[in-house]
Amino acid sequence: MHYVVIGNGVAGTTAGETLRRLDPQSAITMLGDENFPPYCRPMISMVLEGTVSEKALPIRSADFYDTLRIHPVLGTRVSQLDPESKNLATADGQSFSYDKLLIASGSDPRAIDAENQNLDNIFYMRNYAQVRQMINALPSFKNALVLGGGLVGFKAAYGLLRRGLQVTMLISSGYPLSMQVDETAGQMILEVLKSRGLLVRVGSQVIGFEGGDRVRGAFLADGGHIPCELVVIGKGVFPAHGFVPRDKIKVDAGILVNGCMETSAADVYAAGDVAEFIDIARKRPWVNAIWPEAVAQGEVAGTNMAGRRFVYKGSLSRNVIRIFDTDVMTAGLVHPPSDDMEIQVLTETDRRRRLYRKLVFRKDVLAGFAMVNRIEQGGILTALIRSGLPVEKDKSRLLAPDFNFARLMPGSRACPIH
Amino acid sequence: MKEVIVHPERCLGCMQCMLACATAHSKSQTLFSAAGETPLPKPRVHVGVGTFEEGFPNRCRHCNPAPCMMACLPGAIYRDTATNTVLIDPGICINCASCAMACPYGVIRYHEDPAAPLNKVVAVKCDNCIERRQKGMIPACVEVCKTGALTFEEPAAAMKRKTDEVAQSLSSDAEAALKAPGFSLLNRTKKSRTAINTAR
Ligand SMILES: Cc1cc2nc3c(=O)[nH]c(=O)nc-3n(C[C@H](O)[C@H](O)[C@H](O)COP(=O)(O)OP(=O)(O)OC[C@H]3O[C@@H](n4cnc5c(N)ncnc54)[C@H](O)[C@@H]3O)c2cc1C
Repeated sequence: MHYVVIGNGVAGTTAGETLRRLDPQSAITMLGDENFPPYCRPMISMVLEGTVSEKALPIRSADFYDTLRIHPVLGTRVSQLDPESKNLATADGQSFSYDKLLIASGSDPRAIDAENQNLDNIFYMRNYAQVRQMINALPSFKNALVLGGGLVGFKAAYGLLRRGLQVTMLISSGYPLSMQVDETAGQMILEVLKSRGLLVRVGSQVIGFEGGDRVRGAFLADGGHIPCELVVIGKGVFPAHGFVPRDKIKVDAGILVNGCMETSAADVYAAGDVAEFIDIARKRPWVNAIWPEAVAQGEVAGTNMAGRRFVYKGSLSRNVIRIFDTDVMTAGLVHPPSDDMEIQVLTETDRRRRLYRKLVFRKDVLAGFAMVNRIEQGGILTALIRSGLPVEKDKSRLLAPDFNFARLMPGSRACPIH
Repeated sequence: MKEVIVHPERCLGCMQCMLACATAHSKSQTLFSAAGETPLPKPRVHVGVGTFEEGFPNRCRHCNPAPCMMACLPGAIYRDTATNTVLIDPGICINCASCAMACPYGVIRYHEDPAAPLNKVVAVKCDNCIERRQKGMIPACVEVCKTGALTFEEPAAAMKRKTDEVAQSLSSDAEAALKAPGFSLLNRTKKSRTAINTAR
């Protein structure tokens, strides 16, 4: 048996480990674009911020591939895949055949449509190499422009603020993280960032950049101009499946998979940011491009590829963000459709203590939440969404600031033996 | 292998376990001096108040597989297989709270800790008193618990005792089987008080 894994991100890495654990004999090849041992991608923003050292980035030791007897092919991208002949080829002309294939190629940053994008000091922030370049050039910057208020744009803005730069964030919705949080939480985050000196411009788009070799400013669609020596493009990501033949493997936004992480093609699996799988809270296929999902899906894929059936119930979007002294946690459905009669929304706001809670129920089942500060009990709510158990009586008890695990057990006691 | 077992029906909510836990995780190891330490040692067991105002000593279940371990971004959470304990390495922890989002029991807290690098806020949770046990002592919360709500024993033995109790309570001589009549009276009182208060 020859397993091939495309991508050495956390989904591919976890799958590789699972395969080796369950199948000590077979050959495993891992193809990865990045020439680096497996590392923690979310932590690159903390390296930019200066709170985490680069040495902390690797999540596996340097001899990872040797120890697990995985054959690494790094520094090149898979450019072609034929699921019928079970062959694939890389951009630098190597070809491979597989018995079972996992596509774990993650996502790529979404490009923007603007002139002079090739000027120096205009960056995406997806991998370690890009952050390394930014840090090298940091001493020469005073003004940074961040395009987009999504997770990555937001983290870039925060990191650069903490590095002491003057940061302008250009966002299309009225508040950052509009995919993750609702307006109340979004405004609370915005207030914190503004109070620390972030400049925010809402609504306009960048149409081009100016400068000799290096960027010196950006032109906006509304005629405005923003001087800047550094630009970070954080306009979201999209699944990296350019090499996947859409007539042979079903692709929606991501590569469609079932609970075993199988795609529509025989012996081809997908996991992580590149995959689209049923979302438990939304009840329809969804790309949840987050770290814990990539880990879980990588493990499910590896287990099934090794021949043990293991069905994953569904993915769940979730995020926790800490900025300055403010914590934000969200999961599941935070923006429910307003015309859905089955949805009930409960909120509790305490502006003085800067606390916010929003719970979204579908019938009696928790489908999502957003919370600002006092987030320690958030995992109980995430577990409640996952379990699908109805909360029939007194839903508002989940809103109380002193909510704790004991409150979930009306009458009946928790099992004394865990 | 012995483990800490929680018997919630015996918890009075006295919070002695919290004090003992904080002390056990202090530099000085005595309550009096611990109270003046910086950083202030904090408990890793949390007595929560339930729906009927009953206490519930909430501590890490050391789940296997552990959701916090799978969610940890820098890989700071690991399992000590000898004691079946899920541990957090404060040197590696980056205080991202991914584990808070993953823990189904809400037992992880974030603060400075005597065991962590100075001035570093880290994720902190029950470590099964691993240091005390190396010295032959039992977990501090169990040692101090006066009502038997926390015991340190083989899970199989505890399970058997529970099963026997349930079996006995089904037998004709049910009254005799009430192992802790005081607790059930107390809990019944709390329940009816809550019922009366909510009915009002
Ligand atoms: C700055 C930043 C902050 C983030 N913060 C968080 C956070 O706080 N919490 C959270 O949950 N998630 C966060 N994420 C998202 C998280 O990093 C991803 O969800 C996760 O890394 C996905 O893992 P993956 O293995 O699916 O994909 P990836 O990590 O993207 O790995 C895929 C790998 O495959 C390679 N590859 C792609 N195409 C090919 C090809 N054709 N051939 C060969 N190799 C290829 C890529 O170069 C990459 O190395 C963050 C992401 C970024 C960029």
